[in-house]
Amino acid sequence: MRELDPANGSIGPESSAANTGARRGALGFVTDVTLCIGCKACEVACKQWNDLPMDDLGLTGHSYDNTNDLGATTWRHVAFVEQFGQGRGSQSMSNAPGSNWLMLSDVCKHCVNAGCLEACPTGAIIRTEFDTVVIQQDICNGCGYCLPACPFGVPALSQTDGKAHKCTLCYDRLKDGLEPACAKACPTDSIQFGPIAELMPRARKRVTTLRERGVESAYIYGDRAVGGTGGISGLNAFFVLIDAPEVYNLPNMPELPQRKTMASYLTTIGTAVACGVATYLTLRNR
Amino acid sequence: MTSTYRRGWESRRGSGRSVEDASRTNYYGLPAIHKPHWNWLIIAYFFLGGLSGGSYAVGSIAGLFGDRESRKIARVGRYISFLALLPSPILLILDLGRPERFHHMLRVLKVRSPMSVGVWVLLIFGAFCSLSAAGQAAQDGLLGRRNGAARLLRALPGHVVGALGIGSGFALGGYGGTLLSATAVPLWTKNGVLLGPLFLLSAVSSATASITLVLSLARGTRPTTLARLERLESLALLSEVALLLFTQSRLGRTIARPLVKGRLGLIHHFGVLGLGLAAPLVLQYMAAFRGEAPSRVVTALASALALSGGALFRYVIVTAGRLSADDPRATFDLASGQSPTAW
Repeated sequence: MRELDPANGSIGPESSAANTGARRGALGFVTDVTLCIGCKACEVACKQWNDLPMDDLGLTGHSYDNTNDLGATTWRHVAFVEQFGQGRGSQSMSNAPGSNWLMLSDVCKHCVNAGCLEACPTGAIIRTEFDTVVIQQDICNGCGYCLPACPFGVPALSQTDGKAHKCTLCYDRLKDGLEPACAKACPTDSIQFGPIAELMPRARKRVTTLRERGVESAYIYGDRAVGGTGGISGLNAFFVLIDAPEVYNLPNMPELPQRKTMASYLTTIGTAVACGVATYLTLRNR
Repeated sequence: MTSTYRRGWESRRGSGRSVEDASRTNYYGLPAIHKPHWNWLIIAYFFLGGLSGGSYAVGSIAGLFGDRESRKIARVGRYISFLALLPSPILLILDLGRPERFHHMLRVLKVRSPMSVGVWVLLIFGAFCSLSAAGQAAQDGLLGRRNGAARLLRALPGHVVGALGIGSGFALGGYGGTLLSATAVPLWTKNGVLLGPLFLLSAVSSATASITLVLSLARGTRPTTLARLERLESLALLSEVALLLFTQSRLGRTIARPLVKGRLGLIHHFGVLGLGLAAPLVLQYMAAFRGEAPSRVVTALASALALSGGALFRYVIVTAGRLSADDPRATFDLASGQSPTAW
């Protein structure tokens, strides 16, 4: 694995420390929506490798999407966005007159600063040597605090074992020098795995190519400008998108939830002092 | 913007598309974040924990600085605090997905995680609260007169224990709000720094109301004692209602929706703001305007209303947060990057 030093810009002058705070040697995904054909091989490969049970499948009516969301047993989720009619598709892809079909394989973002990890009161959620975020299943006690602490809605509690689950970026496979199952299975290389140091320049080049070919709305979701904002400092699993983040059910400029914790403690302590003084003044001996 | 290239949808947004437009875009209306599973167990805990911490702090301060009559406040405060504390850990453990692993919370202390801090606060407060209650029970002769344990507890410097425990009492009363604010749930985090103070004020008003309720029903309480308690209660209620209305007004229409619309909106307006906050204040000030001390019945009624208002407040905040987490428009409004969320 090539060494990565975001500080001295070894990942290219364009994407130095300003764009992602990824640590030295960080591994991750880039998921390129322009290459996704919606085959769901990533979902299947993930389930097979990680021994995840099937979901309670039914017809949702949301295009070909039958899982709707990332969940305790769905760690890759392919979103399908059908865009028909005037002004929608044609704005996104200049060569697609009037209609457009967007597919995005969503996954845990393995944030550089992760809300779930900071929230976890048992220390079950850890940062691994690959700079990924993993929930240790022998520690998690199912308090559920990581669920609302994730700005992307990734971790979920299992009804079966009561614990929180999410993508591990195939920690067991990485240990053995293998790439994650979803990236391995992806037939179009829409999902690519590697060091952020290599992925980020590759994604930027892809965005440039796409723009040259007329897809002017292409951009990277998951650097410090979009997606990895507000103290999150970038996403180790980032995306190449061609429409607004909200279209893919992603927040535009999310914030690390714990950013305000210290200020919140201070206001509460201030109120406590005021309450103490008020109690003293009203109940003292006069 | 640190990026070197322009994003197509941003320029579109800049030319005529507003934040409202962006927040109207979503994925089949499906939630963009996951809400916590927390149900009545956590709501009950937030109420009882606040009541316990608040009554301990109020009781201890009254015991330290009050006259002989104030010792009644301290005594009632210690008992209420202990009774409210007892079910708290049970509620918390039952809420876990794996209750038998509750002790995993004690592996670490993470200052940036209010839940981790809260676990340790509960543990430390539990020690103070139990010790004070045991000391009080020994003084009241509930533990027998002659055995060694009762003598030891009677010798305990109750005021010192109380003084040391005041901080942990207030911390238990307020940390619930901090815990909710450190999430991605729009309704909780938008004015996050005000949620801790709100929970604390509600804890103090509930605690004062419960002490007042018990003393107004007990024989031999002097009217001046009740009047002092009522002054503190109305002070807490006034601050609470002011802060609640201020917080609500700064949420913005999309995020505040669960507090305004539907059944929960009714409960919020009539239950929390009306019966829980306004009604006790009106009852107290009506008597004050007539220049007479309120009758014990009125005092008891006002306290009971304030107490139930405190419980309803926890219900409304937790439930409204869960509803706002399910609303992708609220999530995207919060993360639009166009409105400052530092508050």
